[in-house]
This record gives sequence, structure tokens and C-alpha cells, in this order.
Amino acid sequence: MSQPLARVDAFDKVMGAVQFGADRVPPGLAHGALAVATIGRGRVVRIDTSAAEAVPGVRLVLTPRDGGELASAGFVMAGGHGFQSLQPLTDDHVAYRGQPIALVVADTPHAAAEAAALVQAEYEAEPLSVDLDADGVEVLDQAAVIPAGFFPDVDVGDADAAFARSPVRVDSVFDCPPQHACPMELMAAVAEWNGDTLTVHEATQNANAVRFGLATQLGIDVERVRVLSPYAGGGFGNRNSLQAHTCLAAVAARRLGRPVKLVVPRSQMFHDASFRPASRHRVRLGATVDGRLQAAIHEVDQQTSRHDLFPANYVEMTSRLYGIPNFRGHQRLVRTDVQTPGYMRAPHEHPAAFAFECAIDELAYATGRDPVDLRLANDTGTDPVSGRPFSSRHLAACLRRGAERFGWANRTLEPGSMRLADGTLVGWGVAAGAYPGSAVPTVARLRADDDGTVSVQVGGHEMGQGIRTAIVETVVRDLGVAADSVRVDVGDTAAVPQHLTAGSWGTASALPAVHDALQELRRSLDLPPTGAVDLRAALAAIGRADIEVQAETRAPGQPPEAIDRLRRGAMAIAGPEFPTFTAFSFVAHFVEVRVEPTIHRIHVSRVVSVVDCGRVASPVTAASQVGGGVIWGIGACLREGSEVDPRYGGFLNADLAEYLIPVNADVPRIEVDFVDEPDPHLNALGVKGLGEVAMVGVAPAIANAVFHATGQRQRRLPIRLENVL
Amino acid sequence: MDRFPRDTTGSASRSGFSGRLHVQMVVNGRDVERDLDPRESLLDLLRERLALTGTKKGCDHGQCGACTVHIDGRRVLSCLTLAAKANGAHVTTIEGVAAADGSPHPLQQAFVDYDALQCGYCTPGQIMAGLACIAEGHATDEAQIREYLSGNLCRCGAYAGIVAAVRATAAAQEGGC
Repeated sequence: MSQPLARVDAFDKVMGAVQFGADRVPPGLAHGALAVATIGRGRVVRIDTSAAEAVPGVRLVLTPRDGGELASAGFVMAGGHGFQSLQPLTDDHVAYRGQPIALVVADTPHAAAEAAALVQAEYEAEPLSVDLDADGVEVLDQAAVIPAGFFPDVDVGDADAAFARSPVRVDSVFDCPPQHACPMELMAAVAEWNGDTLTVHEATQNANAVRFGLATQLGIDVERVRVLSPYAGGGFGNRNSLQAHTCLAAVAARRLGRPVKLVVPRSQMFHDASFRPASRHRVRLGATVDGRLQAAIHEVDQQTSRHDLFPANYVEMTSRLYGIPNFRGHQRLVRTDVQTPGYMRAPHEHPAAFAFECAIDELAYATGRDPVDLRLANDTGTDPVSGRPFSSRHLAACLRRGAERFGWANRTLEPGSMRLADGTLVGWGVAAGAYPGSAVPTVARLRADDDGTVSVQVGGHEMGQGIRTAIVETVVRDLGVAADSVRVDVGDTAAVPQHLTAGSWGTASALPAVHDALQELRRSLDLPPTGAVDLRAALAAIGRADIEVQAETRAPGQPPEAIDRLRRGAMAIAGPEFPTFTAFSFVAHFVEVRVEPTIHRIHVSRVVSVVDCGRVASPVTAASQVGGGVIWGIGACLREGSEVDPRYGGFLNADLAEYLIPVNADVPRIEVDFVDEPDPHLNALGVKGLGEVAMVGVAPAIANAVFHATGQRQRRLPIRLENVL
Repeated sequence: MDRFPRDTTGSASRSGFSGRLHVQMVVNGRDVERDLDPRESLLDLLRERLALTGTKKGCDHGQCGACTVHIDGRRVLSCLTLAAKANGAHVTTIEGVAAADGSPHPLQQAFVDYDALQCGYCTPGQIMAGLACIAEGHATDEAQIREYLSGNLCRCGAYAGIVAAVRATAAAQEGGC
């Protein structure tokens, strides 16, 4: 195949023909709206719904009094299915500002919204703590509270002793704020009962969790729940698990005997879904005078909620970024009064890379070495934690190629030395990133018809990353059929089990399953293992009009029970440590910033990013995904921070006018390149993850460029103009 | 058509939100006549009552641009536009942009060609804003396009493709003049 395939669902998307969850308008539809708590912590002592019930068109008001109908689905990181263990409307407890306290259902969305605003509650308020430094937080040693083996601290060699005797030392503290993913599609569910069978249309990255979680919450057989999520309007981790609104829509629909649509408003999405927690990093680096790393100590405090322990996983990546012989990573959890935080694109790796790669830049300046050279001098082919080889590691190639394309050789080392004639400060910065390679058990079903159609049903979700396109491209390359003869079904629990699609394992898990199914198809049709196929002729030869095959794949080293876990709705994630290797994707980012001479506004003017994601499965969508990841890095570094007020709780800038994500005018020319070397171990197709590594390292590259422009170290995100004035 | 919607429930309803207003408009070339709740947004009318769900709700507060449609050729945010305000107007949504034979508008095709989208949720609004940007004469260079499309957020970050698609479409139109 010479031409890379265009995004296969792009045409339907530009025509406005793709149906997202809330686009469904079944007959008799009723609309829900949530009333939310206006205190930061405490108890609802009285709730008055009479004014809400008096609004014409209101059919139902659910409050905590109705809680008996619902159970918690459990926290997804503790064996459950929910983004948090706390299910609103089950009791009078208020854990955070913005927690739903009532659901109103009416004939129209505007009647529901008006009525929800009329729900009156009286509270007993309790003292609250919303940031890492607040009185009343509870600080926990992660290793002591999360069972051993999960998210362990890293301890290699004797980092403290090696640090103490290192001639060059860096010791810096970095602060990263809470951030919100803000996918463009609002959280929404359409719940429809047919007898005792529930169908839910909702954008999710984890249809299994929605299905199994709802069955638990509603006390019904899982076979009676179907979840459809063919498209999600962005995921970024925000839709990783069952959210709290879905079961409320289901209960209301059951009570009313009508389908119910519940669209959660943007401001409520800042409180009714997970977010990237605040984290603080102390990084200590010890090196020889020529910059060879001898020791690193990475200590992290990360925010979690009162009711759940969202695991911190920062040091998994930083301990692998270089060949550091002595490494100590230590992570603590800080309980605050918020909804449970969770995964958001490059969830731990982005903040970890900001801290670690800024510290590496400080080390480069402390030793007088070029920051690219310093990184190359500390590269390794061996995972320093496990002692096993990396499945593939082309970070050095990323750095060298990026430096070449960027013109890095023309950089002068001295901060402030690249000023333009009009006084504009120019800075060039670099940073590396890595992201663990993982895979999950996957089922793929393939059907070939004698009209030439190939239908693929596979576990996976399309959030815009392009999984459909990569699947079609795999089938086209294998069978030599036309792209428009391939149909792809993802995100449908009635087809095959739908494991969480996140952690950049989607493509690396779905494609091997599709690949194995294609091999099975060839065997069933008596065809050789490679080469173009005439499906009509092959089917005619065995006297059939169609044929269906199935394949189940597991990650390397995963036991057969992993498939059982998948079918039971549990998660089964393998990686980045596998029996014989460690898998990571790598990236190098080169950034130019311009700082205006008068008001010091920072503008990213140029980016070059080179990625090692194994073989590039779909060149068109991969390039777009990296560009998007870089833009996420720009937002995370210069714009995005969810503001809290210790008096009130909740998040203050809870809308898209005040939570600033990059707009078109913020975005510079971004050059994307790929090493495109197949990974020989992770799977048969040679692909590693891409969606998250693309973002890792962008923020420190920008911060390092700001230092190069201004001479000021920026150790707190986001970097706003008041920080560089 | 009359710009002032007719109150179909009598004067008593003016004191509350229970009144109904009778409106007529042309949506994608089709005559539409409905009794409306005065609180109803044009976005909710399109999505929930006319089954034109290509127009998306991303914030409902005029902050993201996903709901961009055209009223009498001008781009507006349908979430901030009361449906009653469209009385007597011509409304165009993403479903009304293609040619009569169903073939995509050149800008729609350019969005495919330049991979100017990922999840596709903001895409209808981007295309409606892009069409207006070209018609307004604000698509003569890339910097100008970036400014005039900065009211349309794309969280996937497909901005480079969007700018390229709009510029290419505008250039083709300029060449054809």
C-alpha cells in the first residue's frame, strides 16, 4: 500500500452524520438535570423539592431519600467500576462542592434545568481541605496503603549515598496544579429500558465498566445491560470508567417508563468526573562533573479524595528515562475534599516529566553541557529497574533527528543570548519523554461475506485517536481488499467484551487481535498466510456465502485467565514490565518560545517532535495525534490550572471561558516525525503506544526554553506572564 | 416573514415561562413551523425537536463554538440564540451544507483531506465557522484564519489541519473568481 489511508470515519464526521451518545432522540424521551451541593463538605439536613416539582413538565425528582434503589459500583482502581466509590444520591453525605444532590426529570431540557435550579437544600457544613498544604489533609505513604505489587515505589542501588557523594547536585521542587481534561463532548447518557433490559448510549472509553457497574448498581443481571459507544467526543481519560450520572438516568428511566437523556453541563463536569490531581515533586540529581547521572531521588505528594486512593505512578517513568544506577522513588497520597481524581492524558508522566526534565536541564547548566548531549550521554538500552532489556528504545535517534530538524546546533548556551532586534527574548528548549508500553486481552470477531464485505468486531473504543482507521488499515494491508469494504464495530458490549481503552494500549491491543483473526480467516478459507485475497472466490471454493472467525489475544506473558477477567468485566493490564523485556515508547521535543519584551507574554513559536512508537500503524492519524499531544503540552504548561478556594471547595474556573485550553491562535507550526522502527517483542505488528507519549516532555521543553530566553527557572505550572515579569 | 413570534397562549402567559410562541423559519431549505417554549435555545430546537443532531452542545454557554450555525448567512452560536429569535430567518446547519446530490461541500472534503479532525465533535461547528470565515473575507492567510477561528475550540488539537483546510478552500474560491 503506497498511500496512507485517510481517517476512515472522517467523511461521516464532516457531514455531521456520526451519532454520539446524546445525539440519540428516541420517542417519548424525557430530559434530566442535576442539582448539586453548594458546600464543600458536610451533610444535607433538609431538601425541599416542592418548587422544582411545581415547574410545568417536571415528571420526577430524585433525591438522597431515593438512595435505597442504588448501590456503589466501587472505585475502578480498587476492583470496582466507578470513577469513585462515592455514588451521589445514596445518602446525605456531601464530600465535595458540586456533588449531585438531586436529579430532576422533565419533558424538556429547559424545564429540567429550571427545576433543578429551584431545588433548595439546607446543609451542615464541615471544615474542608482542598489543596496539598491545607490544614486537615491526611498524608499517606502509598506503599503502606495500596497492596504491595501495585504501583510500587522504586528503589535501585543506594540513591541517597550516591547522591551525597556526587560532585554535582541538583535539588529542586516542582508544583503541578489540578487540571481537567475537558473533552469537547459533554458527559451524557441516554438510558432506555425494554422490559427488564437496559440499553445505554454513552460516550465512554470503558463500555465494560459502564455495563458491569450498572448491573451492580441496579442489582440486575449483567446480561440485561447493553452499552453502545461507537464514538466518543474525546476521552483523554475522562471517560475511563463508570460515571455517577449514568445510573441516575437509568433509575429515572425505569421509574418513568420512558427513555431519559441526562446531559451533564460543562460546569458540573468539573466536579462530576475525574481530573488530574495536584502533585508536588522534589527531584534530586547527583552526577559526575561531566554530567553522568549517578543518583536520582524523586519524591512526590499527590492529591487524592477522602473516599478513594487514586494511585500515584510518577516514578515508573522517571526511573526508566535514563540509565541511572541509583534511583529512589517515593510517593505519598494527600487526602483532600474533592471528587476522586483520576487519569488524564499522560496522567502521571506529564507532571513527572515536567519535574524530572526541568531538573535534567538544571543539571546540564550546572555541568556546562549541552542539554541534548547530556541526555545522549545518559542513554541506556537496559531497564535499570528490572535489569532486563527494553523491547526497543530509540530515544537517542529521537534526540539526534529532532536536533537536526530543529537546527539545534545554532543554539547558544547562555540564557538571554538569542534576543531579537526588537527586544523579543528567544529561547530554545529540549526535553525527553517516555510512556509505558502496555497491552490488554482482546477479542476480535471477523466476518467475510461473499459481497466482499469484511466486518470486524473488536474490543476497543474510538475517542478520535483513530483506532478505526488503524484497524481498517491492518485489514487492507493484510487481505489487499478496498478500505470501503471493511466495517468496524467498536465500543459495543453486545459484540465482544470492551476492556478499558486508555494508557495508549488501544491500538497495541486491538491490532494484534485483528491480526490473529485475519490469520484464522485465512486458515478457515484454506489460504496462504500472506498475500492478497479474493474473498468471493475463496468463499465460493468452500461453498459458503459467509464465514465468521474469532481470535483472542493476550499481552506477552499474560495467563489465559486474563481473558476470563475481561469477560467478567475486570481489568487485565500487562506492562510495562514483561517476563523478558520492558516496554516504553519514547519522544524528544524541541521548542522555541518568544517572550515579548514589554509584558513578557510567552508564545510557543515552533515545535519539532520525534517519536519512537514502534511501527506507525496509521501515518495520517498518528501525525494528528502527536500534533494534538503537543498542543496538550502547550496548554498544560502555559494555560491550564483548575483553581480552588480553600473557603468554598470545588473548582472555581469551571467553564471553558475560565479554564483556558489552547485555541487556534495559540498553536505554532508543529513538525512531527517518527523513528518508525517496529518493536520486535511487544506484539506481532511491532506497534507501541502513541497517544500519551506525544504529550510527555512538552511542558519541560517549554519551561527549559523559557529559562533559555529569560534566565528564570519556572518550577510551577502553569507558567503565566506574571511569573516571568 | 414576521420577525416577532406570535404568542399562542394569550397575555397571561407573559408573566411566566409556561407560554408558547409560534415560530416559522427555514432550516436547511425546509420550512419549519413550531410552537416553542420561550426558554428554548435554537440548539435544543435543532437537536431535540428537529433531529438535526450534527450541531453539537459543548458548553451551552457560548464558549466553545461547537454549536455554530448560520442565520441568514451569519455565523451564530445556537446555544446562546433563543429559538424564537430565529423566527422568520433562514437557518443553515452542518446537515444543510452539502450539495443537493449529497456530495460534500469543498470545505467538508478539505477537512477530510487535511485530517482536520480527530474525535469529530467540534467538527460541524468548525466547518460552519470556517465557511463564515471564508465568506467574511477573513481567510486570506493562515494567521488571520487562526484569529477568526479561535472561537471554536478543538480539544484534540486538530488546529493545523483546520487552518490548512480553510485556507485551501478559500484559495480555490479566490482562484475561481
